[in-house]
Amino acid sequence: MSFSMQNFYDSFKSALLYAPVTIKLTAITFIVSLIFGAVIATIRNYRIPVLSQFFAFFVTVYLGLPTMVALLIYNLLFMTLYADVANAFHISVPISDVNPIIIGYFTLIIGTTCSISESIRGAFRGIEKVQYEAGYSIGMGRFKTLTRIIFPQMIPILLPGMQNSLIGLLKASNLVSAISVVEIMTGALLPSLLYYSYLEGYVAAALVYWIIGAAIEILAHFAEKRCGKYLKIATES
Amino acid sequence: MGNYFSSERFVNIFPKVISCLSVNLHIVFWSMFFGTVLAIFVAVLRIRKVPVISGFLGVYISFMRGTPLLVQMMIAFYGIPLVLGNLFLNVFGINLNRLDPVIFVEIAIILNEGAFLGEIFRGAITSVPAVQAEAGYSIGMTGAQTFYRIVLPQAFKVALPHYGVDFIGVFQNTSLVFLLGVVDVLGKAKTLGAATGHSIEGYLSAALIYVAFSLFLKAVFLLAEYKMNNGTAKVI
Repeated sequence: MSFSMQNFYDSFKSALLYAPVTIKLTAITFIVSLIFGAVIATIRNYRIPVLSQFFAFFVTVYLGLPTMVALLIYNLLFMTLYADVANAFHISVPISDVNPIIIGYFTLIIGTTCSISESIRGAFRGIEKVQYEAGYSIGMGRFKTLTRIIFPQMIPILLPGMQNSLIGLLKASNLVSAISVVEIMTGALLPSLLYYSYLEGYVAAALVYWIIGAAIEILAHFAEKRCGKYLKIATES
Repeated sequence: MGNYFSSERFVNIFPKVISCLSVNLHIVFWSMFFGTVLAIFVAVLRIRKVPVISGFLGVYISFMRGTPLLVQMMIAFYGIPLVLGNLFLNVFGINLNRLDPVIFVEIAIILNEGAFLGEIFRGAITSVPAVQAEAGYSIGMTGAQTFYRIVLPQAFKVALPHYGVDFIGVFQNTSLVFLLGVVDVLGKAKTLGAATGHSIEGYLSAALIYVAFSLFLKAVFLLAEYKMNNGTAKVI
């Protein structure tokens, strides 16, 4: 067993070919989770009865569940219950034609929604009460105050946490390989399977992940610089 | 579909699954122990800005933060025997290819935690205002005394919540080790599922164990935080 550059190169090319799968999975999950997370955090922030207690319980418990365990359970449920559900809705697509990545989306969206809702709740605490009052005082409603005054101020507070969430999600998306979705890691292993030399495949996968992660970090850095702009002006004047 | 889930099987399988929790705890304990030691070195070297090492550590932290733990585990599993295999075979007489995969899992998590905890510690130490150190110097304390008596206790308090979150994260990450063939809680659940043909009870047992223990750890760290804050006087 030795490290062959040729195999590494093949694996790297193969991994790049499957990078869009991971990027799409990460991006869509992140955007959907951000929306759901904002809704849950808002519900909990305004202490809407029943719903806020339910989400408080659900988020606390769900954050204790590792993504891998959730993924395996949902995958199992999907495998065993798909036929019945499909029959009930008169869907004639056989299970073999359904891409298991939808289970990946489902699992990652629930998990990320829970963690993002916690960060957004933290950001809510960073906004002073006078900001709400400022909105109400000029006749804005609750919803308008939220979208025009509170959310924009939360963006700079949230950015560092969101960067971590996004990179964490990129890494968590790797777990869907366990339910036989072909993403960067399994893609990188495809050439390795011919030669029974796996190290090259894993190193190539690591390199591709690293590149995407670095790109996210650079983007977040610029976003942070831009969003913090108004804060500087406020303190300087 | 009526006998899909049976509480009898669940009661039967739960003790078998929870008996493997010791494997997870073993991994968590040793990984956190050596990971914390490594992280202290990483944090100190990063703060001191030692020329070459600091740049190397930057790359190391970026790699550990930017790549999935599963890939790191796999690289450790296949890479360490390749790089060090001959050395260990000739010098110590250990065949690394025959070693328990748990060792490689632990090495991967230790290296991973060295980076993550290192950043937490560095952030905590740099978060202590410079006036605190100056206060120490002003009453004639030496550099080491100031660091251990004034900066470190304050940094510890800043780092504790992050350390707790990280600790729980490591516990949850042990759910990946079954992919390397380690029989932990989830690995046992999967094995029993394959043997009996009923997987859901085993998975639900594993889920229950993970959730309960995570919440327990969270409570422990919250309690520790609460105790830590008892000493602070309210500034009026």
